[in-house]
Amino acid sequence: MQLLEVKNLEKGFGSKTFNTRIEVLKGVNLAIKKGELVALMGPSGCGKSTLLNIIGGLLPADSGKIELEEKLNNNLDGDGKNGNSNKFIYGTKKPNKVVNVRRKGIGWIFQDFHLIEHLTALDNVAMALEISGFEQSEAEEKAKTALTTVGLGDRINFGAEQLSGGQRQRVAVARAIAGSRPLLLADEPTGNLDAESGSDIMKLFKILTKSSNPISVLMVTHDPNLASQADRMLLLKDGVVAASDIKSAWGLDKKGEK
Amino acid sequence: MMKIPFFLTANWWISLFNRNKMKVRDLPDNLRIAALTSWRDKERGLAVFAGVFLASLVITLVLIYGVGLSQAFLEESIEQTVFDSKIEFKSAPEQGTTGWTNDTAILQQMCDEVILRDEFNDCTLVLGKSGLHSEISWGNDAAFYASPLFMEGIKSSNTDRKWETKDLWDYEYTTGPPVVNIRAISFLGPEAFDGVLAERLSKNIIYEMGEWKTHEEVDNQRGIYIPLDIASAAGAEVGDKLDTLTFTYTYERSLPGAMEDEDCPGEIIEGEEYRLMYCQVKMSLQNVTILGIYEPWPQGNPVLAANPIYTTWTLLSEEQQITLIDKDHVYLGITVDRSLLPTSSISAAEDWLNVISNDMQKETYDNGNVKIFYVDIISGTILWLEFVLGFVQVFDYILMIPVVILSLYLLIYGLELSLEQRRREISIHRSIGATADKLKGMVLFELFVISSVAWVAGYILAFFAVPIILSSVGFMQFESLDVDINPVLSLGATIFTILATLGLALLFGRTRTKAFLEMEIDEGVKKTAQSGKPKTWLHVLMLFVGTLGAIDTYQELTTGGTGIISNWFLGGLINIFGPFMLWIGGALLLSRLGAYGPKIMLFFFKRTPLLSDVKRGLQNTGSSESTTRLSLIMILTLSIVTLAAVQGYTGSLVDERTADLQIGSDIKIYSTEPMTSREIEETIVNISSMDITVNALTIPMIPLESEDGTDVNAYVLMNGSEDILKWFPQAIPGKDITEAISAYENGGFSAGSDMAFSLDLEGSGRFGDSDDKLYKASDKESEVVNFTWEKTDYVDTNLDPNATMSLEQAFAYYTNIMNRNWSNIDLSNQDLSNRNFSRTDFSNTNLSGVNFANSNLNESLFFNVNLRNANFSGADLTNTIFVTTSQNIANIDFTNANLSGAYSYYDTNFTSPKFDGAICPDGTAQNEINNCNSGFSENPTPLLEPVFFPASVEVQITPYQTSIRYIGIHEFIPGIATNEMNNYLIINEQAYRELVGNQFVNNLRATTWIVDIDGLNNEELQVLALLIAADSRFEGADDWETSHENVERNGGIIFGTQGLFTLQYIVASAAAIASAFVFLSLVLNQKKKELAILQAIGASPNQIIRLVLFEILSIVFFSMFLGIILGMGLSLAFNGFFNIFGFLFQLFSGTGEEAVISRILQWPWWVITQVTVGVMTVVVIALVLTTRRALRADLAVVLKGE
Repeated sequence: MQLLEVKNLEKGFGSKTFNTRIEVLKGVNLAIKKGELVALMGPSGCGKSTLLNIIGGLLPADSGKIELEEKLNNNLDGDGKNGNSNKFIYGTKKPNKVVNVRRKGIGWIFQDFHLIEHLTALDNVAMALEISGFEQSEAEEKAKTALTTVGLGDRINFGAEQLSGGQRQRVAVARAIAGSRPLLLADEPTGNLDAESGSDIMKLFKILTKSSNPISVLMVTHDPNLASQADRMLLLKDGVVAASDIKSAWGLDKKGEK
Repeated sequence: MMKIPFFLTANWWISLFNRNKMKVRDLPDNLRIAALTSWRDKERGLAVFAGVFLASLVITLVLIYGVGLSQAFLEESIEQTVFDSKIEFKSAPEQGTTGWTNDTAILQQMCDEVILRDEFNDCTLVLGKSGLHSEISWGNDAAFYASPLFMEGIKSSNTDRKWETKDLWDYEYTTGPPVVNIRAISFLGPEAFDGVLAERLSKNIIYEMGEWKTHEEVDNQRGIYIPLDIASAAGAEVGDKLDTLTFTYTYERSLPGAMEDEDCPGEIIEGEEYRLMYCQVKMSLQNVTILGIYEPWPQGNPVLAANPIYTTWTLLSEEQQITLIDKDHVYLGITVDRSLLPTSSISAAEDWLNVISNDMQKETYDNGNVKIFYVDIISGTILWLEFVLGFVQVFDYILMIPVVILSLYLLIYGLELSLEQRRREISIHRSIGATADKLKGMVLFELFVISSVAWVAGYILAFFAVPIILSSVGFMQFESLDVDINPVLSLGATIFTILATLGLALLFGRTRTKAFLEMEIDEGVKKTAQSGKPKTWLHVLMLFVGTLGAIDTYQELTTGGTGIISNWFLGGLINIFGPFMLWIGGALLLSRLGAYGPKIMLFFFKRTPLLSDVKRGLQNTGSSESTTRLSLIMILTLSIVTLAAVQGYTGSLVDERTADLQIGSDIKIYSTEPMTSREIEETIVNISSMDITVNALTIPMIPLESEDGTDVNAYVLMNGSEDILKWFPQAIPGKDITEAISAYENGGFSAGSDMAFSLDLEGSGRFGDSDDKLYKASDKESEVVNFTWEKTDYVDTNLDPNATMSLEQAFAYYTNIMNRNWSNIDLSNQDLSNRNFSRTDFSNTNLSGVNFANSNLNESLFFNVNLRNANFSGADLTNTIFVTTSQNIANIDFTNANLSGAYSYYDTNFTSPKFDGAICPDGTAQNEINNCNSGFSENPTPLLEPVFFPASVEVQITPYQTSIRYIGIHEFIPGIATNEMNNYLIINEQAYRELVGNQFVNNLRATTWIVDIDGLNNEELQVLALLIAADSRFEGADDWETSHENVERNGGIIFGTQGLFTLQYIVASAAAIASAFVFLSLVLNQKKKELAILQAIGASPNQIIRLVLFEILSIVFFSMFLGIILGMGLSLAFNGFFNIFGFLFQLFSGTGEEAVISRILQWPWWVITQVTVGVMTVVVIALVLTTRRALRADLAVVLKGE
């Protein structure tokens, strides 16, 4: 079963009347399974970030549909029950109509980390949980767990300003996964990090996607090395997803494979 | 600092032009870009705009206000003059000399020529005061020689009229050198009965008391116009036909002693001060009619005699006219076209008048046959104004300092923010190779465009605001101004406003931009803004000194002492600078606290559903500079709003209270003869043509003795005083008027603070003190005290068998032949000077402290009277009879009195009276050797001849007692505006009845009445007061409204102060609202990214709005709260400052004798709440709007950012 299904997504910018219209996405189709680490690549300006923003509910598409599996009470209480499955269906809805997608469906990781600067690591994570409706004590507990998961168990009370770039990005990851969201969207997560910190983040992604309760990650990157560590790679070209594995993405053995 | 003048030199502009030829060519394009960029980033544009606009508005306003004030002053004061200038002959006419004419046709022809000049619009030939022929100045005695035509008398066959009243024609000229104090008469030409002169002269004719008619009618009816005081004293009415009107002209003048009787065909009179001699010759008019009665003008420039009888010289025979002209009693009275008078400033008006004066001085008329001397009357008035106005302006400028600082702060802060926002833009320009100069030029040009627009807007708005502010009569109370204000700002002042706003903005912008660009260069090393650590120690020090001042004032207010700072110099310094230090230091410190508003509010709200999901986002906020600034601006504005509201409201109330104190109720009336309350009420109802209800109250006084023998005087509060008098809490013990009055009525008495001390009563606090209490019967401070009133009777013993009658019979006989009955009343401390009391029965009347100066008391009876501190100076006391006990006579002033034949039956020992210059009872003149020690005459006066009764007389004293309960300290009774209330008791009617008896109280008569009138509005009350004053049964009447207007315009603190407070209040409220809007946008702009992040991680719009609203609102709310607290402290601190000025103004207005209304601060919570709620509403609206905009922003773009 697919976790995320994007169907025929179209998005353009500018005005037709003034003849400045550029169609960026021209019918994108893609699907991501549970536990998959997917890299999204493509030339500059091809619409990678736009696609990610639409999936993440920060931008409405002009047409098309997105279906995202929602995990309801997925072992939240640890009572072993399987949660009821449900689906978010969106894509063209305005950002303030898809608050629940951002609350329960998708966790965001940005190139600039985007932590709230005046809060501590713990508060940054717990705040996201409280906003989504968790009680204070539960939120703090979950935040601690998430921070420990990303390897920051010893720095939970550090202010955002006191953390290094890699540590900040881990806090961002912790914030994204703490609410048991099934899908992480990462826009150049290592773009502002040195190589070592970058590979640490990738390792973290791999662990998360391969854990017992796996989550999926869709990651935009320019770095082929990072992309090669992904389970699968998507190439966005001319407004459509042109390839869905590494080799074809690099234009190799196209014919041979077929 | 010297850069500013350099801006103004021509060289600078030329070199600037040469350097910038290219720039000039690019100007239109640059202008467009500057306008565009400033429009695009509205917030920063708005911040700069708000700052410059407000600074421009306030500074311009203060300057124009000064101009408008001088205009209002000028117009109000020249409003009181009829003639603006006069032309007289160059030298006094003398037979055989040239340069003058006594041909009225030629003189009238001169008038026609004079008004050909544009500056003049009316002129008439006047026969009246004689010429000066030179400038009035120190050491020039011409002013003493110039004498008006003096009134001599009026004869009427109507016997109801009292034209024979003694001293009817005495009139004191108070504004000029002492010449001769006799009422003048002025003969006007036909031109005075139409046009501008008629307009001015008719203005003061009292409603329903005739009108200013045309010359034809005046001539036909032989009309005269008389002032109200004459009409009232003589009992004259409009339409009265008079048989003869006699006046005198000056035939000749000379130095003291230089004129002999035989040189003078008339009568020689002497001047007041220098005893100059005037030979006065009589002249008469027959069969004249009173056509109108006018309200006297305030005495103005002494060049002309104030408030004369007006009539026209066409009533005089040609021979009379020529005689008067020959004797120099002639001038051309001229009016200046006042619409041409430059009123922009006093000196401009003076210059304008000087030019006319110099021109006119050169003129000759009738082909050079008539040489003239031109006398400018207005500029004399202006000179005095300049002095008063300078003083007023100093006060006004100081008052406006806080608002000016506020607007400059807004300006500077707006600039900083604007630069801060451009940081990114500048770095981009820099990276594409823009030079520092080019960047600076770009920033400054945008600044220039915004500031210019803001300056113009503020400058223009100020002109519209000034007339409104000048028309305010109380805090936020406006009344249409009866003068025309048309303020213009001089070029210099306009340039000053440009420099102080636009110039300052550019200067500051330049230095800041330079610093900013230098910082940008260093960005490689990530040098952050070194805004400098706030100088906390300085803020704390300022706050400390300011607080010290506030506490000092508070102490002074409550205890009446010197406060905590006993050194007067230090105290004065702190009183003046303290308020400002308190304000700035307090605001800077409190703003940091204000920024912690969210934290403090979070403490209360974090468990509520309102915040449970977003509370974490509020942690550690408030440290950012923008929130501190938002807080600071709220504190600054709200503290000014509070200060203005509190002081403005207090000032308005003080003005009203002062009028309450002076008048007591609606009208205070002085009757000519003693009357009962019923008589007063009936008379007033008859005088008024409207349907009114009248309640009259008098406040009698009674001398008492306490148990331990202390002499005390008590005022009696008659029943009904609660409804009639305008009470307010400062007057009575405690704060509740109804309670206090009922305590009086139930047998209570209160004491003034000094009297309480003398009587050993527990002194409660004065008003404003927490100890100012009304004592209940159960309170230990309240005690019952016994007071005694001693009734004095005279009993004869050993009556000689040959006597014609007994003492009682003699008394009855004598009182019977008296003309007036003023017996058994209380006249203590009244002014009865210059009146005719010949043959008046004053028996058993309280005359302590009465002023009989220059009154005629011929053959009057002073039987059993209290004469302590009485003033008889200059009085005619020939053949008066004194029968009184020695304890009732002390400190009597007989200076210059005529006591010849004054008789004292009982052996009266006058304790140290002053007899200087008096004529002693034995007929000799007082000198240092005799000092009238021969005593009073023992021979009966002519009137006493038939009642000779040799007997010895005993004084029989009957004590009457009353026990009354002490209820606390009073300060005064409304209507008795004297500071002597400290030394008096207030007792109730019941005790009064116990002492003096019911019959006496039931028939209580008095001459001073405080009257409550229902059924009239303020204007109708003013008219009624005038009607009463004009009635011969009354000496005068003062109404509340007139008294209040006087206090508002001249008393209180000062004319226009309330307008300034109103201005401060409005400007600060507007600044609060505007800056809330601007700074909110800025703060939110800075939070835009954070809000986008929160949305990305799942916050709903609702959560975002709650988060933002709570954070900002708690800063704003908390800051406003702190601002109000600071404003309260500030009001207190400023009170000391106002007291200093209030004291100075009192010195000028000469009201020092009166009780002073405490400047007890009023807290107009309602007004402050209105502003607070208003600002909060705007903040909420602005917040919701901007937050919604932030929510609609493209999240993807915001998050991508940088």
